[in-house]
Amino acid sequence: MQASADETRASRAAGLGLGLVLLGLALLAIVFLSMATGARPIPLEAVWSALAAFDPTATEHRIIWDLRLPRTLVGVIVGAALGLSGAVLQGATRNPLADPSILGINAGASLFVVLGISVFGISQLSQYVWLAFIGAGTAMLGVYAVASLGREGATPIKLALAGAAMTAIMLAVINAILLTSPRTLDEVRFWQVGSLAGRSMDIALQVSPFIAVGAVLALMSARLLDGLSMGDDVARALGQRIGFSRALAGLAAVILAGAAVAAAGPIAFVGLTVPHVARAITGPGYRWILPYSMLMAPILLLGADIIGRVIAPPGEVQVGIVTAFLGAPFFIALVRRRKLAAL
Amino acid sequence: MLSRPFTLAALALLALSGVAHAEPWSYSDGSGKTVTLDAPPQRIIASQDAAAGLIPLGIRPVGIYADSAIADAKALQGLDLSGIEIIGQSWGEVDIEKAAALAPDLIIAEFWPLETTWSGGNDVVTALSPIAPITGPKQGDSILTLIEDYEALAKALGSDLDQPHIAADKTKFEASLAAFKAAVAAKPNLTAMAVWPGKDALYVAAVPGASELMDFRSWGLDLVDPPVDDGRGYWEVLSWENVDKYQPDLILVDNRSEASMATALAQPTWTLLKAAEAGQVADWPAFWVRNYAAYAGALDNLTTAIDKADQDLTP
Repeated sequence: MQASADETRASRAAGLGLGLVLLGLALLAIVFLSMATGARPIPLEAVWSALAAFDPTATEHRIIWDLRLPRTLVGVIVGAALGLSGAVLQGATRNPLADPSILGINAGASLFVVLGISVFGISQLSQYVWLAFIGAGTAMLGVYAVASLGREGATPIKLALAGAAMTAIMLAVINAILLTSPRTLDEVRFWQVGSLAGRSMDIALQVSPFIAVGAVLALMSARLLDGLSMGDDVARALGQRIGFSRALAGLAAVILAGAAVAAAGPIAFVGLTVPHVARAITGPGYRWILPYSMLMAPILLLGADIIGRVIAPPGEVQVGIVTAFLGAPFFIALVRRRKLAAL
Repeated sequence: MLSRPFTLAALALLALSGVAHAEPWSYSDGSGKTVTLDAPPQRIIASQDAAAGLIPLGIRPVGIYADSAIADAKALQGLDLSGIEIIGQSWGEVDIEKAAALAPDLIIAEFWPLETTWSGGNDVVTALSPIAPITGPKQGDSILTLIEDYEALAKALGSDLDQPHIAADKTKFEASLAAFKAAVAAKPNLTAMAVWPGKDALYVAAVPGASELMDFRSWGLDLVDPPVDDGRGYWEVLSWENVDKYQPDLILVDNRSEASMATALAQPTWTLLKAAEAGQVADWPAFWVRNYAAYAGALDNLTTAIDKADQDLTP
């Protein structure tokens, strides 16, 4: 009996490991597709040769390296950050609806960026990043504090409600600022929709260290999340320090979501959707949910971005709009499934 | 009893004022209608463009509504706005209470034939038309014609256009125009393209969409005239990947906002345009010129850029 159970577990792990490899290959494929797709038709041979032997005098090579490569890289790291932060938040709050946008993190980051532009007149992305972090962290703490009021503490439902309420307040302030300051609106408009277009290599380089740190923290917290998922009492009985676990996971989520918002603007639904798909494949263990989410989210984000690039020629549709279109029906289906609601 | 001379004087005054009251003021405007008032208007509210056209001609409005923050309103830069109430600083918005408190006799804006509305759009027209009649010249295919329309309107409003500073502005403009035409004529192979650089794409201006571009073309400048989608559009939108679709010798960048040039320079493919690479870039005074002084300054800048440009940069 014991041997066969071990065997099943081993073969299951092997299967899931193979799945990760396949996802990695799929990500590579979509990265290449992203490099080959754009407003300007560039033959595949030219894409290959641009990647293999860059010639700075060739127009097509410059377009691949200067426009498509940074955009693709930003898509990969932002997607990974969104997927991981969504999975971590869902685990830490035991809330299937947890997502950086639903818990107020995106709105907090946006609010601080808008405040920074309107009050301090900053316009550099290098400064956006810090503001987005501070805003994300402040919003997360605020939401948690509000949800903790009352006897039963921060229950999943109270967290979602507090997040929705805080988001509404912060969006109201953002709108008040934008309505009265056309200059800020001009500056923010492009960023606020959520887009990968026009993101330069500087942006990728600037946020990637944060996303790397956040990703390590998130992956390290897998065991803690597994404990939390059994309920606070069981986790405590297993000797876990619940406050520490939540704080570590929350820190990881804030770093990841803050960096993602700073680089691409608030992108909804990726962080919400992907962990559920991952969980449907892997089962409940965060050891697998987290890496699956990390690989699947960039596939979804880049896929949505590629759709946005080609769906409305000669213009483009921002990726934030495409993910909202893809994500909204999923969200409705999710709410209708009771099984997921009992995370 | 009143003395006779006094009675006569009083009668004469009465007669005079009667004449003044009896002489109505009328103006045929750009929408094809004629506005008639009982007397020449004294208190005028002007759109920012109309104000930019009229203030240099000696007509001072009591109020101005602008399309943006007044500091960003390119058309009004360099004009003395002291004592003029600003009743709007955002597109399509006007402070109706301030407008009413100014008790205007007339509102002067520009008629937009394509949109069949006045400066500021329908919301502003709806808000202001109960207060006073709206009138003004029509935006057409020449800024020069528009300035001449403002001259006629200013004259009708009682301004003396022979005042030295007004005449000097016109003389200066005529010299600048002659220099511009000479510079263009000296570079027969030079081609130019007017653009607005956006973060998402490069917007190439259709010549018929911008009156000053129509002027430049009629004065000999060879401008790229891209196709637009619906015949009403102002732009051809080029993804930054396709930015090199046209290769002019000189690029004119929309200078309504200073950020436009910075946006262009931040795009890695901006320099796929040979003119951008070679620094053959100049200001396009996009949509905002309404008086001789501003036009002369804009033309002088363009003349300098054309003189310096290599006309054989691109075939």
